Amino acid sequence: MNSISGWKETGIKSVWLITALISALSVVFILGYLIITSLPIFFETGIFGFLFNTDWNPTGSTPSYGIAALLVDTLLVTLGAMIFAVPLGLICAVFLAYLAPRKIRDMVKPAIELLAGIPSVVYGFFGMIVLCSLLQNVLDIPSGFSWLAASLLLGIMALPTIVSISEDALFAVPADYKEASLGLGATKWQTISRVLVPAAASGISAAVILGMGRAIGETMAVMMVAGNAAVIPSPLWDVLSPVRTLTATLGIELAEVASGTMHYYALFGVAAVLLAITLVINLISTRITSKIQSGRPIFSVPAPVKKILILSMVLLAAGVILYELGLIPLLIMTGVTAAFFLLKGKISHKTTEHAAFGIIYGGTALVIGILVIILGNIFINGVPAISWEFLTTAPRDLGREGGILPAIIGTLQLVGGAILLALPVGIGAAIYLREYSRDNPLTRLLRIGNDLLSGTPSIVFGVFGFAFLVIFLGWGVCLLAGMICLALMILPTIIKTTEEALKSVPNSLREASLGLGATKWQTIKNIVLPAAAPGILTGTILSIGRAAGETAPIMFTAVVFSKRFISMDLFEPVMSLPFHLYVLSTSVPDSETQQYGTAVVLICIVMAIYLVAIVIRKRFQRKLI
Amino acid sequence: MTTILSANKLNLSYGSKQILYDISLSFEEKSVTALIGPSGCGKSTLLRCLNRMNDLIPDCTMNGEILYRGEEIMKSDPVLLRRKIGMVFQRPNPFPKSIYDNIAYGPRAHGTKDKKILDEIVERSLKRAFLWDEVKDRLHESALGLSGGQQQRLCIARTLAVNPDVILMDEPCSALDPIATAKIENLIMDLKKDYTVIIVTHNMQQAARVSDITGFLYLGKLIEEGDTRMIFSSPKEELTERYITGRFG
Repeated sequence: MNSISGWKETGIKSVWLITALISALSVVFILGYLIITSLPIFFETGIFGFLFNTDWNPTGSTPSYGIAALLVDTLLVTLGAMIFAVPLGLICAVFLAYLAPRKIRDMVKPAIELLAGIPSVVYGFFGMIVLCSLLQNVLDIPSGFSWLAASLLLGIMALPTIVSISEDALFAVPADYKEASLGLGATKWQTISRVLVPAAASGISAAVILGMGRAIGETMAVMMVAGNAAVIPSPLWDVLSPVRTLTATLGIELAEVASGTMHYYALFGVAAVLLAITLVINLISTRITSKIQSGRPIFSVPAPVKKILILSMVLLAAGVILYELGLIPLLIMTGVTAAFFLLKGKISHKTTEHAAFGIIYGGTALVIGILVIILGNIFINGVPAISWEFLTTAPRDLGREGGILPAIIGTLQLVGGAILLALPVGIGAAIYLREYSRDNPLTRLLRIGNDLLSGTPSIVFGVFGFAFLVIFLGWGVCLLAGMICLALMILPTIIKTTEEALKSVPNSLREASLGLGATKWQTIKNIVLPAAAPGILTGTILSIGRAAGETAPIMFTAVVFSKRFISMDLFEPVMSLPFHLYVLSTSVPDSETQQYGTAVVLICIVMAIYLVAIVIRKRFQRKLI
Repeated sequence: MTTILSANKLNLSYGSKQILYDISLSFEEKSVTALIGPSGCGKSTLLRCLNRMNDLIPDCTMNGEILYRGEEIMKSDPVLLRRKIGMVFQRPNPFPKSIYDNIAYGPRAHGTKDKKILDEIVERSLKRAFLWDEVKDRLHESALGLSGGQQQRLCIARTLAVNPDVILMDEPCSALDPIATAKIENLIMDLKKDYTVIIVTHNMQQAARVSDITGFLYLGKLIEEGDTRMIFSSPKEELTERYITGRFG
């Protein structure tokens, strides 16, 4: 045996092992640091006192640290978003998968996926400026900042995720089922509603859970429109009440808290609770994925239970409508529903089908309409704000004058640094996981930690960076801290997508290469990585897009609102586009032009990044066929 | 014997590629007709014309006429047509639902809600497909847990539950082992007491065993059709003889 090549192989393997160790260590460290720092609050109030006390008043003369109201608000906002987004998203997915002509599908689907990439702060900005004032005027209420606004906005944000993943699931249902059902003389609508959608139920649930995760983890958009009063709506269905979620609490209070106080520990307690929620969501989605693989339906609710559930839902809905709108609309709605059920047996299948397709076309038009309105509003108002001066000078007069150059540069610095840190480690760890190890404690730890961190709300990374890098290590608010926070945030995604890409390379290729006497590293370098490159690239680019649009992880760690000079110093703070937009729209009156301009520049940068990813994926797909 | 279904000068293309040329063929009530021929000869395509499953394929164009009980099928409602002319596919394709729900799917889609009637239909259909004894204790378990042969009989039972007139079978045994195949073949011979069966098969022994009438297709043309015993013992066309004696195909 050639011992030199043996040494080389071992050396290369250890490099990947080290990257895997770094990833695993950072995962463990983040989780450990957050949990340990949150312990004092649990000793102070007890777990029950923390979770079930409804009074959140950490700055009062007798401070009180109960997060029950925040928890309830988080759940209500998420529930509201899902009630809005799930039916619409599903309708839109059914349209794309089964009713849309192929060409339209191929155009609309990437467009909707692209919308998933709009930074949340842009949605928040739209929510503040358009949605909340619309609610305020239409419903004639003193303030539009409310549960309803937050839920609508989060629902809109979750739509692209739900549409895209449900459509994948629906599209993947074997054509056999469709043929079998049509061959039995079922109509197209019967086939869709009774066979195809149930067959895709697992995938659709996964989509809903992902959408839910996105809604729970969102900070910026919620913070900007929810009104942020830590109260439980009273009565519980008062959708016009202001609410404050767990994430928003972190976003609002972390910057103002003195480190080492009980309030500070309480905020870590909130972060720990967010981690626990993420864990639960992860467990549920893992269960669903394993059920998908075993091909069994995910839940079977016994018929009587189903009846009771439906009945209580109907009663609840009736109560809400009665409370909000009064008696007459309720009667009309009851009448329509009753008529529908009475006629159900009598009207022909054709009529049902026409009605159902009508609803589907209407719903899809609504989804596309909403998205067009958002983009249209921002671009129509924002494009005139963009000038050479706006792109090339520093802001003056609190951003009301001048431009946003330092913010553009700062965003590029932050993203560039995060990629430089996360990419080698992430790809290396994935290579180790996939190519060099089977199943050992290290890989298991890395996988579990990775899954947990990839679903964790982005603000949690901000909390960690603030406490550890900014305060504990004494770096202060600086570029490097922001880079590390963003890198930690995108690391799980990079590892995951790289691993998936490596997985998709068929084993026969590896065997062919090894069978020709190539070493393991030669095989990986020459065969596996080139084949997996498009997948890795797509994953990386999507992470870049995500990092560019994020606000929550950097707002306490790296950015300042105003800075005249551009510096490359890693230990100096920088400006960034998302944060600039956030501050302009929440704290600087009379800067609407600049707000719109900043939003357009931010969207353009992120969209350009995503477009590159989509083009690469399209190219690669064509190559495969 | 009366003619139940007939094709007249049928031409069909997918895009610019012509698949069927001038096919004229009639099917007798309560008999089994087998369509044989080498792969790609258009026999499955012809079968799928008969209950308009080709409607699902984009840029498929067809001319000529197909009459079902004297009516042009292209003018009838495809949904109603498929209730009368059911289809069993090449690979067993049970829905990911329980055995019971699979059978009850068709009747429910057509508006039957009464549980008693559905129970009765399920039992009758399963018995008719010789599957009842094997599954009667686990009607509410997933149909995906059945063996391949059982799944295919389930698919036949599912078709029977709609109470069709004609049953189209597209190589129903090609994914099955010999024992399961034998069971399906018995079933087919039994079914012709009540139904008209049209079966596409590439297995000549099967055609000889189960069918009364055989049609031989080659390169999209109907070469010969007639009484199965005649076709297999003394075919008129040389091409047919060469095919059934295994000299090509």
